[in-house]
Amino acid sequence: MKPGIQSRLLVTTTLVLGISLTLAALILDRSFRVSTLSGAEEQLRLLIYSVMGAMEISGNRIQVPEPLPEPRLGQPQSGLYAWITDEDRRVLWRSPSTLAGGAPRPPIGGDPEPGEFVLREALGSEDGLLRLSYTVIWEDPFEILLTFHVAADWTPFQAQVVSFRRNLYVGVAGVTALFVLAQILAVRWGLRPLRTMAQEVREMEEGRRRRLSDAYPSELIGLAENLDRFVAHEERSRSRYRNAMEDLAHSLKTPLAVMRNALERVPEEPRALLAEQLDRMQSTVTHQLSRASVTGPVIVGRTVDVGSVVERLLRALSIAYRDRNIRVDVALPERCCVRGDERDLMEILGNLLENAFKYTSSRVRVSGAIDGGLTIRVEDDGPGIPPEARAAVLNRGTRADEVQPGQGIGLSVVAELVALYNGRLEIDDSLWGGARLELTLPLTATAAMG
Amino acid sequence: MRILIVEDDADLGRQLQEKLKSAGSVVDLAVDGEEGRYYGSEYDYDAAVIDLGLPKLGGIELIRRLRADDRRFPILILTARDHWQDKVEGLEAGADDYLTKPFQMEELLARLNALVRRAAGYASPILSSGPIALDTAKKELRLNDQTVDLTAYEYRVLEYLMLNPGRVVSKTELTDHLYEQDFERDSNVIEVFVGRLRKKLDPFNPIRTVRGQGYRFAGELAEEGGG
Repeated sequence: MKPGIQSRLLVTTTLVLGISLTLAALILDRSFRVSTLSGAEEQLRLLIYSVMGAMEISGNRIQVPEPLPEPRLGQPQSGLYAWITDEDRRVLWRSPSTLAGGAPRPPIGGDPEPGEFVLREALGSEDGLLRLSYTVIWEDPFEILLTFHVAADWTPFQAQVVSFRRNLYVGVAGVTALFVLAQILAVRWGLRPLRTMAQEVREMEEGRRRRLSDAYPSELIGLAENLDRFVAHEERSRSRYRNAMEDLAHSLKTPLAVMRNALERVPEEPRALLAEQLDRMQSTVTHQLSRASVTGPVIVGRTVDVGSVVERLLRALSIAYRDRNIRVDVALPERCCVRGDERDLMEILGNLLENAFKYTSSRVRVSGAIDGGLTIRVEDDGPGIPPEARAAVLNRGTRADEVQPGQGIGLSVVAELVALYNGRLEIDDSLWGGARLELTLPLTATAAMG
Repeated sequence: MRILIVEDDADLGRQLQEKLKSAGSVVDLAVDGEEGRYYGSEYDYDAAVIDLGLPKLGGIELIRRLRADDRRFPILILTARDHWQDKVEGLEAGADDYLTKPFQMEELLARLNALVRRAAGYASPILSSGPIALDTAKKELRLNDQTVDLTAYEYRVLEYLMLNPGRVVSKTELTDHLYEQDFERDSNVIEVFVGRLRKKLDPFNPIRTVRGQGYRFAGELAEEGGG
């Protein structure tokens, strides 16, 4: 089965939304880190400038007198450190904060060129420090190359970045979830008319509705109207076809009846010949019109309650066969519905039941079962149909000269009509030795065209 | 018997009329539903043959209206369309049997005959009452198993009375059911037929005179098996 419209829309928007929000989050995360880092660098730079400003050179000694430009430089393990080194990387001065055990050392590695800042980021390094070094050529009282090193504990900044990142991702996830939810609602709301339409079509199939309602959005109104028109058209052409068949039947059969009756006046010699020809014509007309009158399963149709059709037929037959005192037993399942045309089913069942009434001697039984399909059994206690004749009874050719006159429409036509419904008709012996005709119809017969 | 035929096809209608007449019935022929309804409500019939495809008023509607007017005579429907829907609707509307066109005249006569005696309560085509057995198929009277010759009119009088057992039948009613409309109504003729019948049925006397009202068939009703 292909994915539904709803899942198509949801998958697409969720993917697009997820990718774009993740990208946005990555960019935000990066720029936050960059700006945090440059803020920290700026602070360190200011610290270098203030140390430089407070520095005093007396003889060979370099001093930064109290009070230190930044009080934290005086506290051991404060997380803020400063060193001054010469060009041979000898430490000329160090802040008191570096004096305690385990305190960091000045950075190792190439000192910057004079007038240049070098930032060393120590993310993930063992001491977790952010270091900035700056080299100047000092000229007073004598020329000397000094490098100023400052280091700050980077952990708080890192914590800031981590917390920002967490907030960012939680936020993005929340927004994504919200969007997806909104999307689901929008899709459901947007697709509701389609679901309504499906429901209404189902109701039409079940015969609880004749046409679609008018309450469709503009995009679907065209489709709904076309569907209605299609159904109406099918119904109309069915009834037009039927009327044409009826007119044909009427205009052929009445003259046939007249001719047959007029035969009595005809001299003996041609009478037998004429009677035979009339019989043939009559059989052909009856046979072909019966076949043609059944239109087959409906496309968007109704379901027919087979039980009530059987009931009506039995009531009618009981009137016509009142004299015969036939005992009729009916045992049909509660709801046996078939999708199809009521008139078609009436033709099929009417002929089966009439057949039973005609040939039975005292009783007829109609029973049924639903088991994948609907099975209807019609049994009588008449003479039955011998096994060797059964295939012929059901498969009689439809050429006029093969049809025996005087058989009404016969079981072969019923078998053809049943085949039109993708059903089956089988002959067997009944419980009482008469005939048993078993009709099987699919519950929702789809058209077997051709 | 008086029979109503409602058939719009002129040829078939005429044939039916002739056939039923030659079988001894009085026949009215209506060519559309409206006319059929007029006849049906104006006259009393023993049976009606109604085609379903009628102009002006459809056969099924005609049957429905006749039944609504409390017309109880048996109705045989003729249908060319051979659809169960029609047959079922016709029977539901109040018809008693159906026949599909084209049909054999003999079949139609047999069906009509069966309907008429069924309506009178007889189960076999032989109407029997004690020693009297009237074979409606052969149109023959047997008295204690001895065939008795009847003229056509004597037969019709006896048949009509036997089809209405126990009910008082006036001379006018008998005339209506035995003669065409334009027949000059002379109730003396009926008296003559009844007199002759009584002689032929002697020593039994199932035909009683109800003074000032008419005749009543008083024989005991019995069924004879077979058929």
